[in-house]
Amino acid sequence: MVTPLETAGPAHAIECRAIRKSFPGVLALSDVSLSIRRGEIHALLGQNGAGKSTLVKILTGVYQPDGGEIVVDGKRVQLRTPSDAEANGIVIVHQDQQLVAQFDVTQNAFLGREIISAGGLLNMRAMRRAAKIALDRVGANFSPDTLVRDLSVAQREQVAIAAALLRDPKVLVLDEPTASLSEAEAELLFSIVRALRDDGVTIVYISHYLDEVLDLVDRITVLRDGRLIETLDVAGVSRGDLVQMMVGREISQLYPKEEVAIGGPLLEVNDLRQGQAVRGVNITVRRGEIFGIAGLMGAGRTELAMALIGALPRAGGQVTIAGKPSDPGSPRAALREGFALIPEDRRHEGLITDMTVRDNLTLPNIARWSSFGLLNLSREVRDAKDLIGRLAIQPPNARQLTRNLSGGNQQKIVIGRWLLGDTQVFLFDEPTTGVDVGSKVEIYRQMVELARRGASVIFISSDFEEITGMCDRAAVMHKGKINSILERDELSTETLLLRASGNSGDEETADTAETVLPDTPDATITPAGSVLGNWGTIVGMVLVLCAITFFAPGFLNPGNIFDVLKQGSVLAFIALGLTVVLIAGGFDMSAGAVSQFTTNLAAGTLSAGMGSLAGIAIGGVAGIVLGFVNAALVLILGMPPFVATLGTMFVTMGATLLYNGGKALTLYNQPEFFFLGQGYVGPVPFVFILLAIVTLVLHIVLRKTRLGLRMYAVGQNLAAAELRGIRQKRYAFASFALGGLVLGLSGVVLAAYSYGASALATGIDFLISALAAAFLGSTLSKAGDLNVIGTVVVALFLASLSNGLIQIGVSDQALPGIQGIVLIIAIALGVIRKRGIGQVLIF
Amino acid sequence: MTSQTTDRFSAGTITDFMRTYGALIGMVLVLLIFYWIKPTFLSPANIVNVLRQSTILIILAIGLTVVMSMRGVDLSVAQVADASGLIAAMLIIHGYSIWLAFTLPLVFGLAVGIVNAILMAYVGIPAIIGTLGMMFIIRSGELMATNGAEPQMLFTLPRAITKPFLFLGQGMVGPVAALVMLAAVVVVLALGLMHLTPFSRRARAVGSNVRAAFLAGIDIRWVFGCGFMVASLLSSIAGVALVSRTGIAMPRGAEPYLLDAFAAAYLGTLASRHGHMNIFGTLIGALFIAFLSNGLTIVGLGAPYRFALNGGFILLAMAVGSLKRKS
Repeated sequence: MVTPLETAGPAHAIECRAIRKSFPGVLALSDVSLSIRRGEIHALLGQNGAGKSTLVKILTGVYQPDGGEIVVDGKRVQLRTPSDAEANGIVIVHQDQQLVAQFDVTQNAFLGREIISAGGLLNMRAMRRAAKIALDRVGANFSPDTLVRDLSVAQREQVAIAAALLRDPKVLVLDEPTASLSEAEAELLFSIVRALRDDGVTIVYISHYLDEVLDLVDRITVLRDGRLIETLDVAGVSRGDLVQMMVGREISQLYPKEEVAIGGPLLEVNDLRQGQAVRGVNITVRRGEIFGIAGLMGAGRTELAMALIGALPRAGGQVTIAGKPSDPGSPRAALREGFALIPEDRRHEGLITDMTVRDNLTLPNIARWSSFGLLNLSREVRDAKDLIGRLAIQPPNARQLTRNLSGGNQQKIVIGRWLLGDTQVFLFDEPTTGVDVGSKVEIYRQMVELARRGASVIFISSDFEEITGMCDRAAVMHKGKINSILERDELSTETLLLRASGNSGDEETADTAETVLPDTPDATITPAGSVLGNWGTIVGMVLVLCAITFFAPGFLNPGNIFDVLKQGSVLAFIALGLTVVLIAGGFDMSAGAVSQFTTNLAAGTLSAGMGSLAGIAIGGVAGIVLGFVNAALVLILGMPPFVATLGTMFVTMGATLLYNGGKALTLYNQPEFFFLGQGYVGPVPFVFILLAIVTLVLHIVLRKTRLGLRMYAVGQNLAAAELRGIRQKRYAFASFALGGLVLGLSGVVLAAYSYGASALATGIDFLISALAAAFLGSTLSKAGDLNVIGTVVVALFLASLSNGLIQIGVSDQALPGIQGIVLIIAIALGVIRKRGIGQVLIF
Repeated sequence: MTSQTTDRFSAGTITDFMRTYGALIGMVLVLLIFYWIKPTFLSPANIVNVLRQSTILIILAIGLTVVMSMRGVDLSVAQVADASGLIAAMLIIHGYSIWLAFTLPLVFGLAVGIVNAILMAYVGIPAIIGTLGMMFIIRSGELMATNGAEPQMLFTLPRAITKPFLFLGQGMVGPVAALVMLAAVVVVLALGLMHLTPFSRRARAVGSNVRAAFLAGIDIRWVFGCGFMVASLLSSIAGVALVSRTGIAMPRGAEPYLLDAFAAAYLGTLASRHGHMNIFGTLIGALFIAFLSNGLTIVGLGAPYRFALNGGFILLAMAVGSLKRKS
């Protein structure tokens, strides 16, 4: 991989020679040659699309260049993967630090390159010590044991840098590190970066903010349109020079700007706030006006738009539209008030790519084409075709799926869907990114057309040229605030760039760094969080048990307690198996069916006279095999876990019935096998001792080994795991197999407990208790993640609940329902604040 | 337009043909094997018999399809059917009017649907978990109401009392069984709902891209919740129809239909060009499952094979579907 040096440049940490990279239709980098000196802070500057991120991705092994070579430390290298880059000492800190929120700092820092002690366990002490040293280097004031989810954004940045330092980098790439930091936090970061340079680390620094670049770095390279414009020393460079180099051209495109009569104010926004992203915005937009909002990534532009249409909750401020107060609770309400949003991420937030052109065009106002509840399809198609003609959508086919259209045509559809309604305020969020020139002009024309009809058009963009070309006025947004409003004659690309990168002259600084954790509005199954704190569940369970004791004093007799432990242990085994599968992000509908199947296998094996060991072995092996089947369906064929395991559940139930011929397999005279499920050691049921041992072993495997750590990582933050080179397949496979083994053995225990196997094939029945135990158990851990000890505690609690309720005189027929209620409440606590809907992956 | 039409029909190559119709052909072939083993399988009498039996499955599976087309799932449908049939039977046994025996179960079904809608669409509980919990809550209610699953028998009552109720399941409307009529009406209504109403578009948007649907001004919670209400309502109709056909309400008697309904819905994706859930496909899938289990019974193979084959077909449908989506 490393070829001997050709021309040595020992003063240079990295040399890029004539790097070229093209994507379909775009030349992203053309003949870029640059040298980064050892021990310097080197800034990469450029507008969006200038080629900075492509260059960085090539340096970190994510992309392969089409031409040119990379020389590291005087040796020519080929960086085929991110780990190749790391092996050459090039480490990147990504802009969105991908960390596993439920892990502590040490675990995050070492994920993917854990230190293992002689016994095969994680050497937590060594890792913590090293993490502490790295944290000290970045001036962190928190301990390596802190959970990442309890850290602020700035502290997470420190963790990410500390983790990078542990890789012993020669070159550290920082990608937009200050994008989500406050001024004070950014200052801290700068001092860390300077200290690292003084330690001899070479730093490549990517930023939009000219001020901080001029303060911090030693040399600057400016890229524009995929070309290297110049590399220069920071001394003697002015902001103006840099802006000139970054922009560097006359307005090249023809903008179809037309003078339109401007009316009175339509939209007035007063001190609007949204989370940490929008910190008090004041703007007034008039009828017939195209009003630009220029700003860089992270300035809060998108959040402003989302807050206006009710897609994000406001923290304060007033908005009026045509004099009426506007505070929509949802985009639907905003639509009725006259707002329309053309979102930034067209493919994920704008279009429904599985639907046709017509369906997308008519979606928001679909009721318009229905009479008596039925759609008038011919009228709808006619109107859709009108729009297709008006917007020049290619191909002009209303029944085409939008997935296959070009970016420009997709964007025209998202715009077109709002043209037939009563919309007054149009919010265009970056409408022209990834759009061909012809479509761009069409989109600009539509803006003018809308303005001419008396609407207000808000044009959000980081392409300052198009703002200059199209807008009547423009506000510049920086760190959540409008820092200046420019009239048409004041607009120029240079001014906008200067202002957007933070130079307004009168900006307030030093906001106290009170950063909120980014919330994840997804509807996937996640462990119930800390709604009631870590103790809520425990207190709740103890209260319930106290109440039961009060009504049925016999409940606390030692004999009864041991009975409960015996009953609960069997369920706990099944719940353990399910928990292991859930930990790596899987799901298992077949858990109950699998354990029932192995119950039958074990009973059959014993009644065939093959002995206990054979029964245990066959049960365990069958469980592993079924686990592998599930894993193969999910990971190799790519089926969602729900469907795959539903299929396995059916097949397993069929196999069970085939095996036992629909009859119960009752065992007689197998004292040593029955001891597994019914025996006692002193007063303690043997099955409970067995459960304790299995739980302990699983706890060690999951929490103290590399395998377990990575299983958790894959389940909790797949992106973070993959960035660290952890492959999902391997660890998800392991979790299905390990879970299958436990489920298989749980069936054996069940056979020993119930003296054989019953004739029923009720695959779903065990599932509910097991799910309740797993999810409620997750609230018992500090981080709120799934864990085997919590699962076992809750499983035993559910058994005592059943036992106690029966003692009180509640019918055992009520028990399934009570478990159902417990399950629903346990989940509701975890999801209610996410505000998602309960969709699942079913295809 | 013309370019597009040719594009649609130029798929005349064998692979494309098989991709579109292969599953249907496969289903027909499977049924022909049963015919080959036992020619009575396709006798008119048996066909009519299976059609009548399949009504309950068709209605349940269609409800499930509506939910699943929005990426929801409803594990409580069979239990709702079960409980609805039970309510109808108990009302009649306790001397309430037939009118009530037809309506109260539907009110129950709708009520369950509303609770499901609140839990899944407004609270945000993942549908697998929430509806599984609901399934067990209903089951407990049934067990308690019937004192531990005692069957509620209608056929022991005087014929005069039960006749109007049993008409739905056993009577004929002209030459057609009332049950088959019921299935036809439900299918037509469901096809209309899922193809010709504004709801159908919103539901597809929610199922394909819930974020984009939300930003396009769709009330995603209401639309998603409606799916659960439709599913539960249809389930209660199916439950009443089942009891009306058999004359007996066995607590937990409808539970096996849950797995059949899943198999039908997933098989139905094979009848769609892009592997989506769709009403027409589900109808085909449900008919196939009904004929398959009848055929298995005729050739003397019981529940084990039904389970195993249903499971196998779900996995097959998914594997074929993922191939379709990749293309």
